[in-house]
Amino acid sequence: MILATTDDIRGREISEVLGMVRGNSVRARNLFRDVLAVFKNMVGGELDGYTKLMGEVREQSIDRMVAEARVRGANAIVGVRFSSTEISRGAAEMLVYGTAVILE
Amino acid sequence: MKDRAPTRDELLAQAFADGELEPAERRDFERRMSLEPALAKEVAALQALDLVARQCAPAEPMDHEWRKLEGETLHQLGHKGGFGFAILGALGLFLFASVNLWKSDAALEFKVLTTCLVGGLLAIFLTVLRGRLRTLPYDPYTKVKR
Repeated sequence: MILATTDDIRGREISEVLGMVRGNSVRARNLFRDVLAVFKNMVGGELDGYTKLMGEVREQSIDRMVAEARVRGANAIVGVRFSSTEISRGAAEMLVYGTAVILE
Repeated sequence: MKDRAPTRDELLAQAFADGELEPAERRDFERRMSLEPALAKEVAALQALDLVARQCAPAEPMDHEWRKLEGETLHQLGHKGGFGFAILGALGLFLFASVNLWKSDAALEFKVLTTCLVGGLLAIFLTVLRGRLRTLPYDPYTKVKR
């Protein structure tokens, strides 16, 4: 499965557009990570617990989008975009969407 | 790494994780996964491996120092001991408050309702925790580093 943020793939022809596919996920850190983050907030530096949280939610959202594209029979997703929001403290939502296509 | 030829189920799990199964095969495999926890765990482990492969970014200079720090006894004692004392304190305070509530002169209705509220919240928390622990082996995203 090819994922691209561009609207087309150079050198490949789009033979069929299958429509929008998306994947989203909301994940939360655990209390222990939140406690560590509170102290790291005081001393500065990267909040790696939250970096990991965003990584988890990003990868899960991508996998869900790819799974939807596979079910539709696509072999590529173009125009991929990411969007994130904060649902509650210590939890993050990420939405990934794009257009599922069949490349020749 | 396994030192034997993969079984048919392992090959099917790999093909499922890679999205290579035909629609009918995929539906059959999904049905089997819902009935065979070992098969679902195998797929989750393969997805976790795929995630690790997707994130093979080079280590940053501070990563080496963090790894060294995490290996130090003082650092581990600080973390584990700190959390241990904090949990012990929270449980102790909870017990202390409970005992004092029931020993106090407060109305019986107040004691019962407060116990119901705290007990209910605790029951919800333990149910959620049980669910999380039960589904943890099927969650490959916990392996994501950043």
